[in-house]
Amino acid sequence: MSTRWYPLYQRGNPQLRVFLPNFWMKLIRPSEPQPKNIVTFSVSMEMTKHDVKNYLEKIYKVPVMDVRTRIALGATKRDVTYGYVTKHDDMKIAYVTLPKEMEFTFPEMFTKKDDAKKADEKAMEDTKQGFKQFLERNKKRPGTPGWYSI
Amino acid sequence: MAGFTKLVNVSQSIKVCCAALGNLSIQSTTRNFGSLLRFQQHVQPQLCASASAITGRNFSTNQTKCDLMQFFDDPKNWPENEVKVGRAWKLDELRIKSNKELHQLWYVLLKERNMLLTMEHECNEKMELFPSPERLDKVKISMENLETVVRERNKAYHLLETGETGERPQRLVANNLGIRYMYKSVEHVLPPFMNVRWIKTRSIGYGGRAVRKFLLKYREKLYNEKRKAKNRSRNEVMMLLRRNPNMDVDFLRRKFPNVNIDKLMESDKIRGHYVPNV
Repeated sequence: MSTRWYPLYQRGNPQLRVFLPNFWMKLIRPSEPQPKNIVTFSVSMEMTKHDVKNYLEKIYKVPVMDVRTRIALGATKRDVTYGYVTKHDDMKIAYVTLPKEMEFTFPEMFTKKDDAKKADEKAMEDTKQGFKQFLERNKKRPGTPGWYSI
Repeated sequence: MAGFTKLVNVSQSIKVCCAALGNLSIQSTTRNFGSLLRFQQHVQPQLCASASAITGRNFSTNQTKCDLMQFFDDPKNWPENEVKVGRAWKLDELRIKSNKELHQLWYVLLKERNMLLTMEHECNEKMELFPSPERLDKVKISMENLETVVRERNKAYHLLETGETGERPQRLVANNLGIRYMYKSVEHVLPPFMNVRWIKTRSIGYGGRAVRKFLLKYREKLYNEKRKAKNRSRNEVMMLLRRNPNMDVDFLRRKFPNVNIDKLMESDKIRGHYVPNV
């Protein structure tokens, strides 16, 4: 359960003892709609299905029924000017099935941020309007500072 | 890294460790370590409440919902543009921790990294700015430091008990072209003299005109790199002395140990154009 180097054999059991695993897992938004009890993860390329299951059960205490994995090919892109091809890294994607009573929906994280953005935009608009008014007022006396008159 | 396992054997027997691994409740230990980096995963009660009820098992939906929510940042931080956190763990702070504490801290850091990676991925998907990306670096530094400390202890233990470091053995070997490199030993099922397939595929001699020609050019390349670096630092010292005639020479000697400063001082090259040539 780790990318580190382990001896082929060591005395005692279990043979594979992992104390400081260095695998990572990202919970990602599924690209296609999935059943409610299936969660999509992007995981370290070296992880196996058993690793994913153990990782979630032991570290996150999430019961796992089934894991399916696939390797998603990274997107390739041809450079417009010179024609060489660049490629993004491949990703291992794990579909984890929770017990059927459970459900997980990916949270919407940026709804509040949209509100904040709108507020920011409104503030910007107000400032622009204020500056326009200032210019309008000072049209006939250019270069006068703001404190010169009300 | 095989030694990690052995280190833990020192303090506790394997059985105890395995039991600890199984029972390790990270949430309860989180609070001890959350003082520096913000590691606590506050799970919002309303999120738990929104999960549907479940019957007839010894786990609950609420629990799962909360557990998978560990992959996400605190909802309070979702709309933020900046998340204030502390610094990474330093080596000296980790050195005074016990093995058990380090072990727990590792899992806290691991979870934090997963959370940050998840948030980063989602932000990229949604074309949003990931707030405070330096958190990832801090976690990375902490994890590196923690590994360093564990390794130190491992080495110390092995040196004391066996007289060897217990690190993965390395030795200098020549590759097919005769260039030497550090080979990290790997355990094999068969000893070398029995491994006929390996013996057959191994090419021992690395002579030949083409190889010699290649090696000559390769070494020339290495030499040129070295020579250019040397000239660069010499010229740098020269320009420094030319512009600042009263510069601290000892400091220069310390900073550029490869440059012969005495020879430079004798030469005319460090004289500025504004100083008359006497």
